[in-house]
Amino acid sequence: MSQEKLLVALAGQPNCGKTTVFNMLTGARQHVANYPGVTVEKKSGRFSAEGRPVELVDLPGTYSLTSYSLEERVARDFILYDKPRAIINVADASNLKRNLYLTLQLFEMGVPVVLNLNMMDVAERRGIGVDARGLQEYFGSPVVPTVGKKGSGAPQLKAAVAALADAGPARAFAVDYGPLEPFVAEIGDLVAADPQAAGAYPSRWLAIKLLEADAEAANLLARHHPEAAEVMERVQALRARFETEAGLSADRHIAFTRHRLCADIFRRFVTVPGEKRRTLSDKADSFVCHRFAGPVILVLILLGLYQISIVFGGWVALQVWPVWGSLESFTEGLLPAAGFLDDPLLRSLGMWTVKSVTAILNYLPIFFLLFALIAILEDSGYMPRMAFILDRLFRRFGLHGQSTLPLILGGVYVGGCAIPAVMATKAIPDERARLATILVAPMMNCLAKVPLYLILISAYFADHAGMAMFFIATVTLFMALPVAKALSLTVLRRRESAPFIMEMPPYHLPTAGGVLRRALERIWLFVKKIVTVVVAVAVIVFMLINFPNLGRERLEDYAARRDAAVDAFMAEVDKTSFKGRIAPEDVLALVLFEEDMKSAKRGVSDQARADAINARFAEANPVFYAVVSREGKDGKALNRALKGVINTRKELRRNMRAERFEASFLGVAGRALEPLTQWAGFNWRINIALLSAFAAKENSAATLGAIYGIDGEGGGSVEQGMLAGEEGFTPLHALALMLFMALYPPCIPASIMVRMQTNSSKWMLFSIGYQTLLGLAVATLVFTGGRLLGLSGVQAMWAFYGLCVAATVGMALIPEKTARELSGPQTRQPKEGIAS
Amino acid sequence: MKFVKHLLLLVAFCLVSSLAVAHSPLCDCFDNGDGTITCEGGFSDGSSASGVGMTVKDGAGAVLQEGKMDANSEFSFPKPEGDYSVTFDAGEGHQVVIKGENIVQ
Repeated sequence: MSQEKLLVALAGQPNCGKTTVFNMLTGARQHVANYPGVTVEKKSGRFSAEGRPVELVDLPGTYSLTSYSLEERVARDFILYDKPRAIINVADASNLKRNLYLTLQLFEMGVPVVLNLNMMDVAERRGIGVDARGLQEYFGSPVVPTVGKKGSGAPQLKAAVAALADAGPARAFAVDYGPLEPFVAEIGDLVAADPQAAGAYPSRWLAIKLLEADAEAANLLARHHPEAAEVMERVQALRARFETEAGLSADRHIAFTRHRLCADIFRRFVTVPGEKRRTLSDKADSFVCHRFAGPVILVLILLGLYQISIVFGGWVALQVWPVWGSLESFTEGLLPAAGFLDDPLLRSLGMWTVKSVTAILNYLPIFFLLFALIAILEDSGYMPRMAFILDRLFRRFGLHGQSTLPLILGGVYVGGCAIPAVMATKAIPDERARLATILVAPMMNCLAKVPLYLILISAYFADHAGMAMFFIATVTLFMALPVAKALSLTVLRRRESAPFIMEMPPYHLPTAGGVLRRALERIWLFVKKIVTVVVAVAVIVFMLINFPNLGRERLEDYAARRDAAVDAFMAEVDKTSFKGRIAPEDVLALVLFEEDMKSAKRGVSDQARADAINARFAEANPVFYAVVSREGKDGKALNRALKGVINTRKELRRNMRAERFEASFLGVAGRALEPLTQWAGFNWRINIALLSAFAAKENSAATLGAIYGIDGEGGGSVEQGMLAGEEGFTPLHALALMLFMALYPPCIPASIMVRMQTNSSKWMLFSIGYQTLLGLAVATLVFTGGRLLGLSGVQAMWAFYGLCVAATVGMALIPEKTARELSGPQTRQPKEGIAS
Repeated sequence: MKFVKHLLLLVAFCLVSSLAVAHSPLCDCFDNGDGTITCEGGFSDGSSASGVGMTVKDGAGAVLQEGKMDANSEFSFPKPEGDYSVTFDAGEGHQVVIKGENIVQ
């Protein structure tokens, strides 16, 4: 007996308890990675079967092995190319009929299969009897019952794997396709004819797939077979002949045959309790999926989701902030000290990067709660019902029931984030709808867009603030839906579309451990992906907004103002007893001393602790301390002068930053775009703000603030700065700006997530390009159109709203010509599986 | 008219929602030791708090002073006698209230 490692794959449909079986077999010895080139998670683990080392790879949960979804393709490719020695097919024993559909296809791929009847306890509880021995004889392959949750049946399963890997199955089970068999045989011979190609794939499987018109199978053939074109021609001819002879297409025949066989096997080997009781799940479904109650429950659940994750999560984020704040001050301490006007590059770049990261980390509590709640929705079985309720609506717009979650995460109602939204599209099995969702999810109202909305609304729509907020919160959906439909009718037309087959698993009570683990896994994945990306992006953006530096003249001007401030302070020093104890070069150190002392006492609310900190600083530099803490008459006098220096320094730094920003690469780009954007009502200053907002989303409001340079004297808000700074700026300008902001890509990390999920830079560039152009077009329409018609901001707002609603309704009425007709029977069987 | 019903459903989502900005508001106050208090504000994402409304109230809740954060995101006011509190008000869900007794020198 050799000791070489056995490669074994674990396959199964969603909700069959595959993960529990995986954990049962491998224990803690697991390793998570991604499948090469795609974002589907690849979990592998090890165990020992009868003394032989086994490497177990967990394939993504799939209902079938077509090439519709990424998960299905990944699972199929693994079996095809990595050639596992055996497959453990986990099937839900309480729901065997549906699970067998995958089993039959696994047998077809020619790899030895161990059929694992899992969740036997659930089956028993429902009075379902499964004849494991009968099934074993029927398939000629081992069948092992287990209860994954309790870990029972593991030794038997391991033994079966070891035996099967050594000996192979007693006989290879094959589905009998009846009248199609001669066709299968003929193509099988054709594809096997080439000896070189014969080893690359199981020929019977490929023949069946070709007859099913599976696109990936055709690609496979083209790659390996020297006469692929001739074979394909023959396949087409045979498909046509079969269709005329049998009266239905080969793919439908194949799917029907499999379903019939599943039902047949089910009848022979499974006994269900005589009187068919309605299960609790069925009873619950009569409410949850009810025509009227269903949507109400859905809204309530979404409201809860929102309240807990965004509102409560926002509060938690605030409580957690000191952790990130201390991370900032900790790094601040490590970096070289600040200068009076300019900081060392290492410091400014370091702080910029850390701040960019903490800005994202601040959202962690929100995302953690969101991910946990989603895990609860998934584990409880509600998620597929939600998709079912909304599928009919979304279908009209080229989306899918499962587009719901991404759109919610993106912020159907204000307050999402495009990054997890795009990430969540992974679950959509329909390629066309998945891409459409990826392309429109960033149009939702992500959190980062909100500050800008708030500024513009309070500045220009103050009298209609509530309505304006409602407008921007809802109009995005009425823009996204028609756009999704338009995309799926045009650029996505040729993409594969899949039927909505969604199983309604029985309701489960989610376990705390499972929910926690899933939420943590996702948070970890999110942090890993985003933080690394944000760091890289932060560095690039930093360069773009800081270089080229200001001209020598300007720098000298600032330096002169600095010197003046220092001199003024020194003049005050010389009037006091500090004369000779504080030199001009000490002034910066004194300013930083004051800053350090303040940040040391940040968040301290207990006088005793504050006193201890004070004592520490007094010891470190008694002279500085005397000034900062106003000791004596001289200390008081000098403290006032110090305040002056500090304020001047802040003001100079702020102005310098704004000025440098305008002269930077990004600033120059903003000016260059003005001729184009003036029709949308954007001047170069706004262009700069928008460019920087794309680079790092949280910048939009801050940048506008910096650009509209609220000058030191008197203060005033960004809104006031804008009102004062832009005399010709009207509510119509503001409306165009808000709409542009709503449509254009939220941020670079989100675009990178698009790149990851579509696995194509072209799609990423397309999504950035079309959203920017669309935003510009809409802004131009509203601004130029509104001006030509002489509409006020509010009038233009509602006119545009009406236009969007009309477009939505119009798009919904355009029938979708679909490739869905091709995709076989079972187009809508949402209730399948509940009854059994 | 199922479609209309669905549409209404979606609008309902939006209606019930209020706006939330998830960058956290931050505010710290310091006793300057000269009978004045200075508060510094900001947001977790580094945004300036300039222009954010500030309110000082006495123990009974009566408003003693109102103002706004200046360009440096600072707000100073004379220290009131007795109990007082400072509110940093950056809009719905973005308020920070600091009690006078927690403001130390």
